Amino acid sequence: MDTKRTREPADAWHMTDDLHAEQGKGDPFAAAIRATRMSMIITDPRRQDNPIVFANDAFLRMTGYERHEVLGRNCRFLQGPKTEKAAVAQIRAAIADETDLSVDILNYRKDGSSFWNALYISPVSNDKGEVQFFFASQLDVSDRKRSEHRITADKERFEKAVKERTAELEAALEAQTTLLHEVDHRVKNNLQMISSLILMQSRTVSDENLKRSLGTMLERIEALSTVHRRLYQSKDVSKFDVSDFARDLISDLLTASGRSEINPTLELEPIVVPAEKATPVALMVNELVTNALKHAFKERPDGTKSGSIGIKMSQPDGHLNIEVSDDGVGMAGANGDASFGMRLIKSLARQLRADIEWRDAGPGTRVVISMPNGPQHKGNLS
Amino acid sequence: MTDSLKILIVEDEALLAMELESLVEDAGHSVVGWATSLAEARAMIDSTRADIAFVDIHLTDGPTGIDVAEYIDGRKNAMVVFMTANPKRIPDHFAGAIGVIAKPYTTNGVTSALRYLQEGVRRPPPTSERPAGFTLSPAFETVWAPGR
Repeated sequence: MDTKRTREPADAWHMTDDLHAEQGKGDPFAAAIRATRMSMIITDPRRQDNPIVFANDAFLRMTGYERHEVLGRNCRFLQGPKTEKAAVAQIRAAIADETDLSVDILNYRKDGSSFWNALYISPVSNDKGEVQFFFASQLDVSDRKRSEHRITADKERFEKAVKERTAELEAALEAQTTLLHEVDHRVKNNLQMISSLILMQSRTVSDENLKRSLGTMLERIEALSTVHRRLYQSKDVSKFDVSDFARDLISDLLTASGRSEINPTLELEPIVVPAEKATPVALMVNELVTNALKHAFKERPDGTKSGSIGIKMSQPDGHLNIEVSDDGVGMAGANGDASFGMRLIKSLARQLRADIEWRDAGPGTRVVISMPNGPQHKGNLS
Repeated sequence: MTDSLKILIVEDEALLAMELESLVEDAGHSVVGWATSLAEARAMIDSTRADIAFVDIHLTDGPTGIDVAEYIDGRKNAMVVFMTANPKRIPDHFAGAIGVIAKPYTTNGVTSALRYLQEGVRRPPPTSERPAGFTLSPAFETVWAPGR
């Protein structure tokens, strides 16, 4: 072998090749390297083109070459058409700089098939710090590479799918929001139209009773309109502030009618009910307040009415209490149970599971409503 | 008693415009015109004298109510009050408008708003309380309702 011709004293491993070469009897470390399942080679950078000077059996098994086909050749015969240039450049740089390198590189066997090689290169120096050899180990990591590629591909596929789905959902949400605004807009306009129709009809009616009837109907529809307007103006369409509604209602009824002789007393804690209760509660409050304004106070000779009306709202432990009082003519003057307004109040109270009570306040009337509300709804709403 | 107001109605729904006209007249004011689009509104603003224009955002030619308000703001010959079911579409600066009456409004709400506007236009600032259904623009809030 030509290794013998060029042998130099420092070539310690060539000595072991000569002495008990194949069995490695003279050197247990050499024997271990020859027999290990880990593919290993040694190259000699002091010779022309840094050729392989040792290759163990594992290397030959992995690459499919015979020993005489690899000894004396530079390792680049393992490279092939799909080997990355960058990995080759890294190896070249490590050899030139005499440094360690760990790199995954696509290599080719003798039969032309490729495999992923987890290559580790390390320079071996003598006492003076001069590089004598390069030691290299190889590991076939094709399986790992395949799963890496698969994971990367899967990840990209999932990311793409998630992105597409997100875009779909965002578009759907935007369509829903637009639709909600559109529907809200139409509901508001339609409520306004209903009010207008009633008003226009009412203008053409001469019968005073009929006019009053239409007026009461308009008030109820306006109460519904106010509920809708307030709900959709607020940030949270699932909750409704009954106190704000009552405040608006009383100012709406008193300021416009010019009944400044009627003095309102409001004691309103902020009370929030879930949206589904907004309409019945608002209708009930509307009914009680308009009723009091219409029937409780006797007209003076000059046609005006005077007195005071009170609305009180509070919520002690999970209950909503509403109290509407006046100092007018009292219950005797109130309309009877048979009236539609009264039936409406009672039906709404039943729907809300509310207790309702008319008390003679002498002077005047006090209506007290108590219904379950409070913390249990906060839980349902969140 | 202060002078009554001349009102221009800019509204694409005939029914609402008709009823609003009746409400305005019931309150002792007069309606000088009814426009349903930006072009009609411009022509009327140029040819009539109105104190207040009630302007819906959505007109027959689209959401051009803001443009109507800007046109009026540029001419300075009337003041604008928006009347819309879509108050969220009003820009932050209100295009120079006094405020907004959100639909659905109540008859009492409009009557009170007219009285409040009459005071505000004829002898500012208004002395009666701001009606519940009426929202002032930030600019008018500082002038008509400082510290409230």
